Amino acid sequence: MAGGVILENLSGKKLFVLVSTLLFCQLACFLIGGLVAPTPSATDMVLASKCLNNNSNPWSYIRGEGKCYSYPSDIYKDNPIPNMMANEIVFTFQIPTPRDGQTLDYSRWQQNLIGVLNFDIEYHIGTIMDRNLEITLDTKLGYRNVGDKDGDWKLFASSVEKRNLDCTSEEKIDGHNYQCGLVPLFELGSLHHDYYLINIRIPVDEENGINFGLGHLKDVWLVVINQNGGFTSVWLYMKTIFFPFIVAIMIWFWNRVHMLARKPVLLERMLMTIGFALTLLNLPVEFLTLYYDMPFMLLLQDIRQGIFYAALLSFWLIFAGEHLMDSQQKNLRTYWKHLSAVAVGCISLFVFDMCERGAQLRNPFYSIWATNTGTNLALSFIILAAISGGMYFLFLSYMIWKVFCNISARRSALPSMSNARRLHYEGSIYRFKFLMIATLLCAALTVIGFILGQASEGHWKWNETNNLNYASAFLVGVYGMWNIYIFALIVLYSPSHKHWPSEIDVNNSSSDTIEFSRLPTEPTEMSSLASFSRKSAFD
Amino acid sequence: MILYIFSTRFYRYLGLQNYPPREYNPLLSHKENCYRYPFLKSRQQQLCDLGEKIMSVVSSGTKMAIEECQHQFSSQRWNCTTYSNNTSVFGNVLSYKSREKAYVNAITSAGVAYAITKACSRGELNECSCDNKIQRKQAKKNWQWGGCSEDIRFGEKFSRDFVDSIEDIDSVQGLMNVHNNEAGRRIIRSSMQKVCKCHGMSGSCSVRICWMKLSSFRDIGDSLMVRYEGASHVRLGEKKRKKIKKLRPIRIDRKTPNKTELVYLDTSPDYCERNESLSIMGTYDRVCQGLDGCRHLCCHRGFQIRLRDVEEKCKCKFIWCCNVACEICRYKKEEYICN
Repeated sequence: MAGGVILENLSGKKLFVLVSTLLFCQLACFLIGGLVAPTPSATDMVLASKCLNNNSNPWSYIRGEGKCYSYPSDIYKDNPIPNMMANEIVFTFQIPTPRDGQTLDYSRWQQNLIGVLNFDIEYHIGTIMDRNLEITLDTKLGYRNVGDKDGDWKLFASSVEKRNLDCTSEEKIDGHNYQCGLVPLFELGSLHHDYYLINIRIPVDEENGINFGLGHLKDVWLVVINQNGGFTSVWLYMKTIFFPFIVAIMIWFWNRVHMLARKPVLLERMLMTIGFALTLLNLPVEFLTLYYDMPFMLLLQDIRQGIFYAALLSFWLIFAGEHLMDSQQKNLRTYWKHLSAVAVGCISLFVFDMCERGAQLRNPFYSIWATNTGTNLALSFIILAAISGGMYFLFLSYMIWKVFCNISARRSALPSMSNARRLHYEGSIYRFKFLMIATLLCAALTVIGFILGQASEGHWKWNETNNLNYASAFLVGVYGMWNIYIFALIVLYSPSHKHWPSEIDVNNSSSDTIEFSRLPTEPTEMSSLASFSRKSAFD
Repeated sequence: MILYIFSTRFYRYLGLQNYPPREYNPLLSHKENCYRYPFLKSRQQQLCDLGEKIMSVVSSGTKMAIEECQHQFSSQRWNCTTYSNNTSVFGNVLSYKSREKAYVNAITSAGVAYAITKACSRGELNECSCDNKIQRKQAKKNWQWGGCSEDIRFGEKFSRDFVDSIEDIDSVQGLMNVHNNEAGRRIIRSSMQKVCKCHGMSGSCSVRICWMKLSSFRDIGDSLMVRYEGASHVRLGEKKRKKIKKLRPIRIDRKTPNKTELVYLDTSPDYCERNESLSIMGTYDRVCQGLDGCRHLCCHRGFQIRLRDVEEKCKCKFIWCCNVACEICRYKKEEYICN
């Protein structure tokens, strides 16, 4: 009689070697992330140059031939030009800015670009600004490549956008700046071109009340955030290394399952699903962005991560459910209540993501948060996702609690059982506990890492003195950890072909053999999970 | 005497006028002009040679600093008086190594660093550096791999190079000036505010990035004013064996000032009375505000209340863009004027 999974039949020494190898890989991931990779993303603060609109040239740019005339500093104070129209002033950002006497250009390794605006508005007594002001920005985004002429900017997108500007003044002293919130401007899912140019106009229309309540606007800052090239390469190489390993172990696992005379059980199919989801996540499609313009990468990345998390969450549920020691014959339909929590959560997040990042494919300036209806819609999707997340954890905790109840009930009965039955029970309990410990360890490491990451990002000084780059160590480490976790699961929970070591004992014990032979005659290798639940029904 | 004249020629002179200064000779190249400017010292002339743009930025930073000084000291006995015909800018009053000198040094050094930082952010200067932890030969590769350091770092570095180069750190006065220059620059960094943005999966906070936002120069002037009021009186403390020169507080019970605090060596001269040789105007006929303010500013000589009919711009409204719409208000204004 054969049965069980590899985990049960592995000797203590072999298990120790396997687990310590995996832990070593884990440590290596953290160190690669921390020591080799730079911070995940970099910011550049760009201050707007105030150009005068030139009707003969659709673009205002500040470097290169044909550059615009720009005001040195404050428009109000230094150059009081009467009758100048607001439309004539173009806030110009030409990125990237030059460094060390070199003209920089974006590399495709830098992957994506996010732009956020920050307004410097001076407080003046008597000209109080509303706390929540709707501003209208007439924005234009252009690009140029190395080798193009200085003035040869091509239109990427243009749009008239409304944004909420939230400014407060605590001190209320003349000459101090308002504290203004960030205004998201654009998100580019691909950084395909070399140079970008952003032209923003803030038109004023008294009749329609457009931009009328704006105070003494001194400066506009654009914060551009892009992924670091170094981080992308470390990340991509990690993926490329993990990809074949996971694929290989899946093939090995599936072969093993098919060598059995029975059909694969639910848990084995779940392991395959999660393996597929991880392979999808590991597939280094980002390499294509180095050659092709793929603006949907941000969205694709979110979807791939979403599929993986959905698979992982469903796996935990089903794993706990399969170890419930009740008599029911289980298939996927039995879990529809629990799985629908995962499904609802994931679908609502997907819809939200489509509304935000999907719409940004058409218009990079689009933001669902810009309008009140959009904000409400987005919030309702997120709340729905949060509720189903909560439901999921309730279900999962309840199931785990029930499993533990059953385990303790069975354990008291263990000594009075015959060898074969005791081995089945013990095997099941052992498998469950092993997974519980491994999962809790991974979850705890993720949470601790996340908190430490947030804290280290919060401390400005850490970055300057520490050689270990915490944020990258966390991201790469956690990514590696879930890969190793799934790898270990697939290896350890694949069906074992080894014979039970206590086979002779089993045959010798009289009553149990009869009981076993009375079990429905299914293939002998049937996963002990299923046989276990059956058997418990006979008790 | 000649030495004395040389030592009073200051780069701060740039801040009294718009760039290019009066000494600029349009027939000569920028480089030649740099080496002819009497108000620049040798290292500064080399830095001036970097480019015309960087010099105009230094000039505007110094100008901004002087304006800020005058704003902050408007109700003090010494009101940051400048003399446009004099390259020492503030006259002889700064030959005293006083608190006021400490403030002026700190604010101008901060002004230069601030203006350079902003110019770098605007992308106006090619010289802005990209030093980062990973040192590679090419700035471009460096930036593409791991991003650049913040612009403030270059601003500080340039200011340190430009402003501190005129000081002789072997003299006690040089030590004081360098200390105060550094304090001014550090104020910029410490008054920066942290702003964060999340950009992880679906915009969640699994990936978060923070950066520091430059605060307004008025904030920097304010913080420096607080430091001015709490400045430490120091003397030269020399360790005989190691020959390390260090500034130590005069009062033994005080701790050694840290790098963000202002220090001074001499007590301030009397700013109440007019003193031609020190270029002090005195506080006669100064307009003061509030009873306490007037008592202090008028040096207990008392003050007059003058009633005037004034026409002033009031209820101003900034209309974007570029128009300040004001009403003209007529009212009787009470002015307190020092005797």
